[in-house]
Amino acid sequence: MAPRVVVVGLASDFGCQVQITNIEDHLLEMLDVIDLGYWQLASSGHMPAEYDIAVVEGAVTTLEHVELLKRLRKTASVVMTIGTCAHTGGIPALANRCDLDAAYSAVYGEGSDVARGRCAPGPVHSVIDVDYQVPGCPIDTDEFLAVLSKALQGLADPLPGDPMCAVCKTKENVCLLDRGEICLGLVTRTGCGAKCPSLGRPCTGCRGLAPDANFDAARKVLASKGFDPNELDRRFDLYNAVREGVR
Amino acid sequence: MFFRVVDKERLPDLIAGLSSDHEVIGPIEKDGRFVFAPISDPSQIRLDYDTTLLPPKKWLMPPEETMMHFNCADEEVTDDTVVASPRVLFGLHPCDINSLLLLDNVFLQGHVDPYYKARRDNTLIVGMSCTPSPTCFCNVWDTDEVHWGFDIFLTDLGDRYYASLRTVKGAEVLDRHVDSRAVTEKDTADFQQVVHEFKQGFSNNVDTAQLPVLLDAKFDSPVWDDFGSECLSCGACSMVCPTCYCFDVKDRLEVDQKSGARVRTWDSCQFKEFAAVAHGQNFREDRSSRLKYRYYHKYWGYLSKFERVLCVGCGRCTLACPSGISPVKVIEALQAGGSR
Repeated sequence: MAPRVVVVGLASDFGCQVQITNIEDHLLEMLDVIDLGYWQLASSGHMPAEYDIAVVEGAVTTLEHVELLKRLRKTASVVMTIGTCAHTGGIPALANRCDLDAAYSAVYGEGSDVARGRCAPGPVHSVIDVDYQVPGCPIDTDEFLAVLSKALQGLADPLPGDPMCAVCKTKENVCLLDRGEICLGLVTRTGCGAKCPSLGRPCTGCRGLAPDANFDAARKVLASKGFDPNELDRRFDLYNAVREGVR
Repeated sequence: MFFRVVDKERLPDLIAGLSSDHEVIGPIEKDGRFVFAPISDPSQIRLDYDTTLLPPKKWLMPPEETMMHFNCADEEVTDDTVVASPRVLFGLHPCDINSLLLLDNVFLQGHVDPYYKARRDNTLIVGMSCTPSPTCFCNVWDTDEVHWGFDIFLTDLGDRYYASLRTVKGAEVLDRHVDSRAVTEKDTADFQQVVHEFKQGFSNNVDTAQLPVLLDAKFDSPVWDDFGSECLSCGACSMVCPTCYCFDVKDRLEVDQKSGARVRTWDSCQFKEFAAVAHGQNFREDRSSRLKYRYYHKYWGYLSKFERVLCVGCGRCTLACPSGISPVKVIEALQAGGSR
């Protein structure tokens, strides 16, 4: 029997779930190998009580999210996160850089009753153990399928630890740092094929910090190219305000 | 080897002629730098190029290639054989031609790599003389000259090329596609003058005397930590290196969970995972040891096996390293003694 998969969303723009709909070429094939029990974006029914693989999008921002994640972890044998919000806390986690209540008031108005039980926004792994991760904002559809395959086969899928520059070189891109742009590929986890730099756009760090990156040396690189070295940290915060414990 | 002289204005005839039955790969401009890419019109080619972003190895060993397909349901494995159409690498500088000879040692001796060999056997090499740029240091390895490993080598004499014909095939294609004439004493005198001026043009004259001894004697030098602290472990140096040949092998499963492909991709000894083995052990955990390993392999390990260093002084790593680490700087620091 095909493993039952549920797809749920926490705090996010659901862009990564939309990306799943963009796998048109393989969507039917995918449905041959999984029993898609629930898909928050596309389902009108409720989540089943039993499932094997929980796919989670979004950052944890409320106690309700915390409870949901604990339930998912308890029920599913495999938990897989998709997207930057789930992986690093992403954009929602930027709120950690200011007073949370003040941030909610600024966005929704003073005293508005939103996000009850709100908590400091964070990645999924800050609440439960995660088995597989598809980083990126949004996720790459091929990478999603590759990681899903690993999960279905029970194979380990460690994320690469090195930064973006090597694959960018194989694309024969002229280094954006030499073209007057601050590119975060120096410290960002590889695996996307250097998509943005290959289109002439600097890397914004959506795949998270490369564990093997040399942040100190990268600051020096920025300084040597005439930039303010603190810009590396400031820009990297966009998707990586929470850095501790992110794998 | 014998020689002919080709007027410069006749060169497009050679490129056009080769294009009739070969894919011609030559240097073209990309965002202010150069890449080796297929040429559809002889006017695209930029023979004034200094160096290219990626070396010519990408046309013999692409950054990613499929080695085999498999199907678990049928327990079938199909080797992917390279169907290599005739190809010309046009305008290669001496350093890059020398780099292919170093790769040949690895891929064509002993266990022959069929993917590399298929492409190599179908590739004609037309070399071109160059002008030393500030990052070149081929002079210190004697890779500023090339005496084999090409079919035709064209030395720019201003209004004409001094064509060295190394292979019968090279002589045949030159004869077939372009008007050439016999070499005169004046041509050879001009060739000697051009070579003399070329040799004077190098700005890096790093002392490489007794480098293997120096490397072994300086194994614990603080120089390695100095450079290691600046290394981003990004692997850019390996990707752009014309002589780095390491690759990683991965299996990719199709959505059907039955079929898949085995692919190989360029790898780098600067990646932490490179020396990781079972039980979580890693021979080169810290980046200083990885950087050091790169130098020991290039300038000692390969040398001890093939009697050449695994570097042709093309300077691509110097241009690609965001931190500006270069072999010239590292060797100079070792020669100087302590820290930089």
